[in-house]
Amino acid sequence: MKKDIFALTFIVIFGAVLYGLTLRGAPGNPQAGDFKEKLDLPTGAFELSPERGRYVQTASLAERGTYSLDKTWALVAYPDVGVAESGSYYSFFAPGVSYMALPFYLVGSMFGYAQVGTFSVEVLFTLLTLVFIYLIGRKMFGLSVGLSIFAALIFGFGSTAWSYSVTLYQHAFTTFFMVSSVYAIWRYSTSVSRWSFLYPAYVWAAYGLAIFVDYPNAILMLPVMVYLFLTAFSLQSVRDTVKLNIRMSAVVAALAFVLITGLHFWHNQYYFGSWKQLSGGLPTYQLEATPADTALIAPPLVPANEIAATQAAAVTATSTAAEDATSTKNVVAFFHERKMPQGFDVLLFSGERGLFFFTPLFILSFFGFGFFCRKNKGLPMPYAIMAALVATNIFLYASWGDPWGGWAFGPRYLIPSMPWLALFAAWFVSQGRHIVMKKIGVYALFLYSSAIALVGALTSNAVPPKSEALLLPIKTYNFMKNFGYLQGDQAGDFVYNTY
Amino acid sequence: MTSIIIKKEYFEAPMRWARQYSAELWIGVASTVLAAIATLYSFMHQYTISYGDAESHLNIAKRVVDSLTPGFAQLGGIWLPLPHILLMPFVLNDYMWRTGLAGSVVSGAAFVISAIYIYKLTRVITGNKGAAIFSSAVFILNPNILYLQTTPMTELTLVAFFALSSYYFVRFLESEGNILMLIMAAGFGFYASLSRYDGWALVLMEAGVIFLYYFPWKIAWAKSKGSVRAFFAPRSPEPTVGRFARLEARLILFCSPAFLGIVMWLLWGYLILGDPLYFTHSQFSANSQQQSWHARGELPAYHNPWVSFLYYFVTTMSNGGVVVFLIGLAGLIAFSLDKKQRHRFFVILVLLVPFFFNVLTLFLGQSVIFIPGLTPLSFEWTLFNVRYGTMMVPAIALFAGYLFYKGRTPTKVLLCFLVAFQCVLFTIGFSPILALEDGVSGLSSATAKIPDAQNWLATHYDYGLILTDDFARTISIIRTPIPMKNVIYIGNKPYWEESLVAPEKYARWIVIQRNDVLWQNILADENTQGRLYKYFNRVYTAEEIQIFRRIDSTPGTQTTPEQATTTATTTGATAATSSPSSAPASASVVPQ
Repeated sequence: MKKDIFALTFIVIFGAVLYGLTLRGAPGNPQAGDFKEKLDLPTGAFELSPERGRYVQTASLAERGTYSLDKTWALVAYPDVGVAESGSYYSFFAPGVSYMALPFYLVGSMFGYAQVGTFSVEVLFTLLTLVFIYLIGRKMFGLSVGLSIFAALIFGFGSTAWSYSVTLYQHAFTTFFMVSSVYAIWRYSTSVSRWSFLYPAYVWAAYGLAIFVDYPNAILMLPVMVYLFLTAFSLQSVRDTVKLNIRMSAVVAALAFVLITGLHFWHNQYYFGSWKQLSGGLPTYQLEATPADTALIAPPLVPANEIAATQAAAVTATSTAAEDATSTKNVVAFFHERKMPQGFDVLLFSGERGLFFFTPLFILSFFGFGFFCRKNKGLPMPYAIMAALVATNIFLYASWGDPWGGWAFGPRYLIPSMPWLALFAAWFVSQGRHIVMKKIGVYALFLYSSAIALVGALTSNAVPPKSEALLLPIKTYNFMKNFGYLQGDQAGDFVYNTY
Repeated sequence: MTSIIIKKEYFEAPMRWARQYSAELWIGVASTVLAAIATLYSFMHQYTISYGDAESHLNIAKRVVDSLTPGFAQLGGIWLPLPHILLMPFVLNDYMWRTGLAGSVVSGAAFVISAIYIYKLTRVITGNKGAAIFSSAVFILNPNILYLQTTPMTELTLVAFFALSSYYFVRFLESEGNILMLIMAAGFGFYASLSRYDGWALVLMEAGVIFLYYFPWKIAWAKSKGSVRAFFAPRSPEPTVGRFARLEARLILFCSPAFLGIVMWLLWGYLILGDPLYFTHSQFSANSQQQSWHARGELPAYHNPWVSFLYYFVTTMSNGGVVVFLIGLAGLIAFSLDKKQRHRFFVILVLLVPFFFNVLTLFLGQSVIFIPGLTPLSFEWTLFNVRYGTMMVPAIALFAGYLFYKGRTPTKVLLCFLVAFQCVLFTIGFSPILALEDGVSGLSSATAKIPDAQNWLATHYDYGLILTDDFARTISIIRTPIPMKNVIYIGNKPYWEESLVAPEKYARWIVIQRNDVLWQNILADENTQGRLYKYFNRVYTAEEIQIFRRIDSTPGTQTTPEQATTTATTTGATAATSSPSSAPASASVVPQ
């Protein structure tokens, strides 16, 4: 127990220091006029529209007391801005992150660090995720203290998740809700305490919040909910009868989900005009090209005509999400089986975003998974759920029209899978013969993966897909672009920029 | 904890009732019902004959039994004959020919047989009834298969004979040499080899497996400790001595019937068409068609093993449905690792024959597949021949059934859920029903390319023989009121050849498409063109198609082939004297 406390303390302190050192940003409480060609430049705190879009919503909530944006802020979030029937502007991103970041914005703004404060919410959730990875490694996988720490470090600092733990994206939240829910259900399955109802209540709440943070989480977290269902309902054969056992606490706890989703629907109704209207489905705001407007919006990273030319020239290109988005606002239509061959390639193997290209350490996870199945002569339910979470994640985003995740560093859509991959990689190290040799090999892979993750965290997530990169003078579409920033003495972290 | 207690007898009563009848019967009933529903749907939406090839298959069968020159020679030399022979009794009925229902009957029957034999095959391999039913369910719920079984396409015929031959072949392996099973496997292999060329690969592979099974490895590698010997030597329990003789006997016993179909087809090509390899040499062969794609740089898999593999892999995945495909893939891995399955590698080799065959033909440029997601958008077409992937659905179903067999109850429940989920994905359009898409809007489609001339002819045709280049698919005969026996096409000797010289000799109507054989022989030739305009009015003109009608001396008089032949003997003389002019189009030209 003491060991675990020390280990957790180490993880939190070590993590807080590294994340603190790499947290993106600069001092100040940014106003709308501070973005264009300042904060939105590559390596800047708001280099891409996802963090801009979420941040302006938080700022609007804090400064104006409403989720709707005024035109000035809407132009900062442009082009990911929609217009509701009421004429109000909103970012296309799901509102959860902006709400969760609000307290951090308020605290930060009191000290003149609104942006840094807002971004630190990601650090907090990532640190909590590391804690849960450690706990799962120890309790569910039976790993040693050292390997459990190692599993947490693989996720935290050996994967591209690092780059998205120091800015304002949805991935840290999604991952946290997923990891903590699996652990909560596992505890619930072994607990008979009178307070055990809190576990399913948390899981239901986490499910509702995860959807509020990012809509595809409704599907991504389904395996977790299946796990809860299978824990709550069990069949038992007793002589000539079949007994269906139901843990009613898991059923009643669904009220937490109903409450949160009810609030979500109310939010949609209040701001977007309909309870079922999602922010991503709002009609796109058409920019009026007045000088006042264009003075606020971020310039495109690549001229639009050049993007179109590249897409036409790319012989293997399929329709992109951007193209789909212009033809339909049906979010479900973005997913299609025929996009999967390319999606698999981009997400797993490509030099643009491939998981194994950016974090080759995760190749070992699949060996670890195989060893795990062999040792257990199958796959017990909680681990099958972990595998299902990874499979669902890959399946979902391989069929997504834009598996690149726009301009991004590494396979950002696969970040929710990385805790599980990290755990199975750690399991791989713990098993079989030649453990010393294995550790050396794994350490070398960890160093490589960590170096790549670090360069991304320190510099920029604005790495274009190959089709767009070929138009740029630098022509790079992976971490080599980030090394260029480092060589040019450009870093995005708050500490470096401030001190 | 709340508990609900249910007596087991409530579950057992319906199971007891179901067990009164065999599982085969239930599968037969279920597949028949599904086939009927799918056929009704397809028929109502006019999907039955949406493939261009669907009409060609119907027409080939029709010409054998009811055409200007009926007879078996009409079977031609490109497509293998069995599917057309099976269609013959049904295409005698004009309604069934024109609607394509003749094909639905044949393919539907093949579908039901396939479902039953996939059940039986899985049962032989796993010994588990539930797994066998699961396999069968995976097969019959596949919408690509369900669609193709409503059409006159030949895939289901092959799938049925493939399942039958594989079933008896596996029985032969499992029974350690039951001769009757081998003969049955060879017999159905014979039918498979006369259904589609994939069947040739099947019998070749089965012969190869017999070789591997009986080859006396201990003699050949007596001093070897290598893995080859270790792998194959214990396969057959029979003593080493005399196994050469056994190998020889079994190979001859198998190959005699199994390869008879191939020999017959080569002989047919030689006797009827003058070239035993006519099916791959002639201008109508798939190989020739692929050359034009190659010339345009649109044959991506040609001589590229990785791309060939990738194309067929993705095509298989799309036809099976991605979720079911992954289940099947997991089942295949589990099966190949199951050491209790002594013949697992032989079974895998046989079941994966369509995969090997299609990858090879793609690599050799003998076939082509265009599939969205892989085929570059710069190509003229991105959807073509994707139905080839349905050949792998039986294997996917079987391996999925194997995984079901190996899994414990939660896994079984999960697999059922996943198959249902795949059905949902097909329903909501996440997983496309590619075989149908190709038929409706792909390059394989006839309906996507129906020209206006087709509709014009359907309303203006009155009587008389019609001369058309059937290979160019200028018009769809079944979509017009034209009887098949009034059609002159390349297979009608001597009508065709004589008409190319003297078009007025038999035909009352001539349909010419740009650059087709008639265009090249009649319109492009000055002499024949003169005859054409002398005896025919151009009654329809479009950019690509022209239709000519004979200038009637006595309007309303119907000409039978016999009358046409008789009048033709005098035409030459009258033409020289009484033809008013060689003026081309008449005033009745509809669209100019």
